Amino acid sequence: MSTDQPLLPDNQMLFDEAPCGLVVTKEDGTILRSNQTFSHSIGLDAQALIGRRFQDLLTMGGRIFHQTHWSPLMQMQGSVAEVKLDLVHHDKHIVTMLLNGVRREHASGAFYELALFGTKDRDKYERELLNARKVAEDLLREKTAAESALRQAQAELKSAYEEAQLRASFAEQMVAIVSHDLKNPLTAIKMASGILAREERTTRESKMLGHISQSVNRAERMIADLLDLALARVGQGITLSPSTVDLHAFVGASVDELRMTFPEATLVHQTVGTGNAWLDADRVQQIIGNLVANSVAYGDLQQPITITSRVEQDHAVVSVKNQGPVIPDSLMGVLFEPMIRGGNTGTDSRSVGLGLFIVREIVRAHNGVVSVNSTPESGTTFTATFPMV
Amino acid sequence: MFARAKCDFLRSHKPIPRDAIPSTIYTAADIKTFGATGAARMDLQHRNNVKVMGDGPSTLIFSHGFGCDQSMWRYLAEGFTDRFTVVLYDLVGAGESDLEAYDREKYNSLAGYARDLNEIIDHYARGPVIVVGHSVSSMIGTLADRQAPGSIAAHIMIGPSPCYIDTDDYVGGFKLEDIHSLLDILDSNYLGWSSTMAPVIMGTPGQPALSEELTNSFCRTEPDIAKQFARVTFMSDNRQDIVGLATPTLILQSTDDLIAPLAVGDYLHAVLPNSTLCLVANVGHCPHMSSPSACSEAMENFLSPWIREHVN
Repeated sequence: MSTDQPLLPDNQMLFDEAPCGLVVTKEDGTILRSNQTFSHSIGLDAQALIGRRFQDLLTMGGRIFHQTHWSPLMQMQGSVAEVKLDLVHHDKHIVTMLLNGVRREHASGAFYELALFGTKDRDKYERELLNARKVAEDLLREKTAAESALRQAQAELKSAYEEAQLRASFAEQMVAIVSHDLKNPLTAIKMASGILAREERTTRESKMLGHISQSVNRAERMIADLLDLALARVGQGITLSPSTVDLHAFVGASVDELRMTFPEATLVHQTVGTGNAWLDADRVQQIIGNLVANSVAYGDLQQPITITSRVEQDHAVVSVKNQGPVIPDSLMGVLFEPMIRGGNTGTDSRSVGLGLFIVREIVRAHNGVVSVNSTPESGTTFTATFPMV
Repeated sequence: MFARAKCDFLRSHKPIPRDAIPSTIYTAADIKTFGATGAARMDLQHRNNVKVMGDGPSTLIFSHGFGCDQSMWRYLAEGFTDRFTVVLYDLVGAGESDLEAYDREKYNSLAGYARDLNEIIDHYARGPVIVVGHSVSSMIGTLADRQAPGSIAAHIMIGPSPCYIDTDDYVGGFKLEDIHSLLDILDSNYLGWSSTMAPVIMGTPGQPALSEELTNSFCRTEPDIAKQFARVTFMSDNRQDIVGLATPTLILQSTDDLIAPLAVGDYLHAVLPNSTLCLVANVGHCPHMSSPSACSEAMENFLSPWIREHVN
């Protein structure tokens, strides 16, 4: 019966052909014995391995790891398990193996018994996991960095904005103070030139006094505009003294005055409907003046400028229309902001770019709205609409 | 000459009674590190797993190297507890230290570890202090000495290296790519060893008792910390700190050490004016474990100025 049993492999064969690499070393790593499986894994035969140190078969990183990690552990706890190592094959390619090792004490020291398992596929999979983790960590780092950069940019923007506001407010206060202080010397100039004009003058002197008077008037208008800007921006806003007025009569009188100011233009007054309106007449006259001045500056003076006053049931409407070049699209959005000017009108501009801003502020103070329409066919029309209170 | 000077120094210093050691003082940085609520209870003992043995008039502080913890001193330290106050501790991030205390910024350079060592000296040392540092801890001791000159009476450096990477004429023994390959190995063992980088213990032939209680108790390192510490250790260049350090120093140099080759020991001996270079016949980077008696013999000689007969 027992003779039918096949013979078990002997110990030598079990050792040599074990399904894992087996290596016995001294404590310092010197190889005393190894099996064929191990020889096969790293391409060196057992005889050639005797006397070499096991750690010398490792990559440099593996050797440091051996010295700093698993060699002390072998000594202290007597074993290690599942340590992953990179060995260098005889033909220089790297073989990744898992190591289990035990320390066996004997009278004069200890042997290290090492078992090594190939772990090619597992290693490949683990490296993929590792790479995926690295990618995820990198992405997270990038995201965190981007978020922090964004936060910083927002903070910088906010502080730049606050600084700009502070500067703007300072500049507007300056405008208010300077404009106000300029009024007194102008008044003095005006009075003095008035007194000089009363006496008999040569033609040349009268002409020069006329220039002085015109320039003073222009400077007064500019200062009035600047004061209005300052009121709207840093003060309480433009204040009104409204009263009941006959719209057509009052607009007609304004147009008459403007004919004197702009003799080069043809001004036409049209009326629609009849009735009174509740307005600050001086301020609305200022609106008409500013709009007509714009028409004179930018419109085609060969064609008339039409000022229309219209009384409707709920609204009073004043509009100013001229022919000529249309307002560019790029200007439309900012037309009513301060310091905005149309195309080149030469240096002799009557204002500092506040006309339409003041128009808007006055209309707003009346709870009204101002709009603009500019096409090549129908020309450019500014329309101020005031509610009937 | 220096030995006599040290004896004078000793005479002028009475041992400090243990109960006179002040309780821990907290800095703002500590409070930040530990969180406001834990600040009051924060304790170096907890942070660095400090162990004190013996009550001699001088203090030996053992500081372990990269990859392990204070348990690596078990073959060496006990021989000194009869004549010295012996202090063992774990670097933050290693062994049984408080991982909550691991601050990536603080420990991004060896100077952070050196601050910890000085705190331990302040609160645990009796009399003159001799720092026994293995490997990277030799440089931590050097930096602690530079941070607080006079706090350390002597250094014993086991397998020290001020710079691991070859640069110009200097031979450290490694190239940058070697250090990257170490980081790769640490990375791949992170997966192999699950969450804590402490390898499983197998039954040990002839020593079955050495199993259960010791499982995973040695050299435990959180993988991310191990990687940062590896980078800080192997990328650091402390040559400027070590050159000219006048504190008496014993260099224990293994005859065959991959991590700290002979040339590095010679370099250190040349740049440390009060150094003794002692070659220990040993293979590997841990002579205090594999050749403890040769190490303690050299240490006894070097330490003789600080050894007094112990009076019971």
